[in-house]
Amino acid sequence: MAKAGSSDLAKQEQRLAYWLLAPTFIILLTIAIYPLLSVFYNSFTNNVFASSAPVEFVGIENYQQLLSMTIKTVPPKLDDAGQPVVDANTGAVQYESAVAVLPREPVRFRQVTQFNLFGTQFVLGATDPNFIRAVWDTIVFAVATVFLELVLGMIVALIVNANFKGRGFMRAIILIPWAIPTAVSSQMWAYMLQPNRTGFFNTVFWYLGLGNGEIPFLSDPAWQLPSMIMIDVWKTTPFMALLILAGLQLIPGDIYEAADVDGANPVRQFFQLTLPLMKGTIAVALVFRTLDALRVFDLFQIVLGQARYSMASFTYYQLIQNRQMGYSSASSVVIFVVLSIFAVIYMRSLGVKSDEQ
Amino acid sequence: MKRRYLAVLGLLVIMAMVLSACGGGAPATEAPAAPAAPAATEAAPAEAAPAEAAPTEAAPAEAAATEAVPAEAAAPAAEGVVNLTWVGPGPGAEFEMRKEQVGRWNAENPDIQVKLIEGPVSATDRFGLYLQAFQAQSSDIDIMQIDVIWPGDLAEHLLDFNEYGGAEAVAGDFPAIVQNNTVDGKLVGLPWFTDGGLLYYRSDLLEKYGFSGPPATWTELEEMSQTIQDGERAEGNQDFWGYVWQGAPYEGLTCDALEWVYSSGGGSIVSPEKVITINNDAAAGSLDRAYSWIGKISPPGVTSFKEEDSRAVWHGGNAAFMRNWPYAYGLSEGEDSAVAGKFDATALPGAEAGMSAATLGGWQVGVSKYSKNPEAAAKLALWLTSEEEQKFQALSPSSLIPTKMALYEDPDIAAERPFMPKLLPVFTSAVARPSTATAPKYNEVSNIFFSNVSDVLTGKQNGADAVANIELDLQDLLGFEVGAP
Repeated sequence: MAKAGSSDLAKQEQRLAYWLLAPTFIILLTIAIYPLLSVFYNSFTNNVFASSAPVEFVGIENYQQLLSMTIKTVPPKLDDAGQPVVDANTGAVQYESAVAVLPREPVRFRQVTQFNLFGTQFVLGATDPNFIRAVWDTIVFAVATVFLELVLGMIVALIVNANFKGRGFMRAIILIPWAIPTAVSSQMWAYMLQPNRTGFFNTVFWYLGLGNGEIPFLSDPAWQLPSMIMIDVWKTTPFMALLILAGLQLIPGDIYEAADVDGANPVRQFFQLTLPLMKGTIAVALVFRTLDALRVFDLFQIVLGQARYSMASFTYYQLIQNRQMGYSSASSVVIFVVLSIFAVIYMRSLGVKSDEQ
Repeated sequence: MKRRYLAVLGLLVIMAMVLSACGGGAPATEAPAAPAAPAATEAAPAEAAPAEAAPTEAAPAEAAATEAVPAEAAAPAAEGVVNLTWVGPGPGAEFEMRKEQVGRWNAENPDIQVKLIEGPVSATDRFGLYLQAFQAQSSDIDIMQIDVIWPGDLAEHLLDFNEYGGAEAVAGDFPAIVQNNTVDGKLVGLPWFTDGGLLYYRSDLLEKYGFSGPPATWTELEEMSQTIQDGERAEGNQDFWGYVWQGAPYEGLTCDALEWVYSSGGGSIVSPEKVITINNDAAAGSLDRAYSWIGKISPPGVTSFKEEDSRAVWHGGNAAFMRNWPYAYGLSEGEDSAVAGKFDATALPGAEAGMSAATLGGWQVGVSKYSKNPEAAAKLALWLTSEEEQKFQALSPSSLIPTKMALYEDPDIAAERPFMPKLLPVFTSAVARPSTATAPKYNEVSNIFFSNVSDVLTGKQNGADAVANIELDLQDLLGFEVGAP
């Protein structure tokens, strides 16, 4: 690197480098930095998309609306004698409606969920329960899919890394799910998950004696997220396997020969040789996949629509359907922050170095 | 160290791109939710018809739109020739029919040449496309088709047809639609074709089980459904259900639930006088009644059904009754239909006989205010919505329902499309969604309504809680008064 007072030639080269880089930076400024700043700016306004309504600066109101949460205790229902009402069939204590305990002024809080801790019933309220749910669902989705894809991808990669006949064909064929556009595969899965026996899964489960052939995979809240996770694992495991396979091929074969000579069994070889040597590859794969999964849009938009949101499909809905440009910008910024947090955690915990050391 | 900064900067840039792609970044340059083109071929054939005929959004897979609007504007190609761009329907039967119309127009009007572009199949995506063009005040789109719930939302970007002889042109149209398209005295859309919710019933099965005619009340519908369902299942068809409808949380559920509420005397959510009327016993009871159908006469999966899902069950001969839009009529008569010749359509039931309600649907023609050739575009719009062209589209395979009252006495239509004149009362008395009174917040109103109704249908809350919640949310959102329907 050129130091102060170095030769003219070095300075000249440096200047040339800046000139050569300039177009790149200008392009980045217009297509990346400008939209980014515009999103930040919009998130503090009440801008309405495609409207001539005057734009006002509203401070952090959008963020308050998105993120305000509260926890309240829910009192049990009391009968005339002052005793808690108990359901005769289940023996469960009956509670008052959560609407009564959640604050109404200055803004209304709606129920996100209820939970019971040490015998007391609590309600979690939020000013925008859909967004809180979307953030939670997206994080659960990301963690579950990335974990499953890592495990399955590793298994697939180890298999196709072995020497066998037709290996090239096998490697090509596992990529098919990844090669299908998500829009197509999502719709395909939506058909297969139909809530009656026109759907593949309901038919198969029914033949196997599981369920009544009417399982509502995409409308029952308990099935929605598992279905999404399954589709994404199917689609993205090949990609994970490909990344890991690339890493596996960089490991020189002779260390395994040495390990064989030393008498290490394959399991020990995997945990003591393969895994440590793969750390960098796995870290990259994890960062890629996690950030990708947190941004998931097409899958949720196509299969679930407005039944359940991911963070990105919530943002899309707010912008295109509700035309709340300010509000959707604020939720974009929240996505940005969540992604950054994950990125930093990964870099710290996996020791990814951007320096040469 | 330098490389470290570069890496951080790189990360920031990547995230910025992510952000601008999924947020409200630079909307004018952003493509709509157009994932991959191949999806269009996958999803379109099956779904093309309903998205066109029904005023609701069809499966979002069709987000896999066709093409965005081409950049080339309507620049005059030759001296004195005006070029117009029309964003038409998505690929399907209606698009073919529109192409034929444009061909005739271009031949007859050498001075006004029209270019027809395939639009996204899904209504929601089309809405997004228009908004993006409007946000950029772009003249790329001159003429467009407007859903019945959009005039209030889009009014500020649309041409007032009153300045181009629109008032005389719509004199013979259904007054309710003209009123719907009139925003602050401006006629922003010309009525093109209409739609309304219908009850399809299996005439052969009604006869088989000894019923003299279709049900007039919801109670009758429940009884008939149960009887027929029990009978058909006893004969071995385990997949048979009494009644299918649209229960997925989307615009279609707003249409269905508005019919339940209105036909029980529960009002239309928000009255045209801007009063929130939803919180009443009739409305609550009608939602509870719909909940009671699920698993009994309607499949559990009905809570994820859109138009085509319910039509699939019906089409295979596995339902005695179906609530759907008129587009299903032509398709159910098709060669691959198990119910061809065995069904008919009538008005939906009510809480009492005669209280029937159908949600108003349908499409209008609108001209963008940013068009460079508003006069030519208005001329085309007037021609498209004229009596002759409405007759043409009624007789086409799409069988679009005319908005001109005179056509219901037309002998050709009576001969070729007998159900149209028969259902005239359904279309004239259709109840409009509260889109004009609540503009530009109708989408949020609808979302609040159908989300709460969906919670009733999935057993998360009862009807009384739901209507109370809807009322509170609408008060927060709109600031309107509360009152009885």
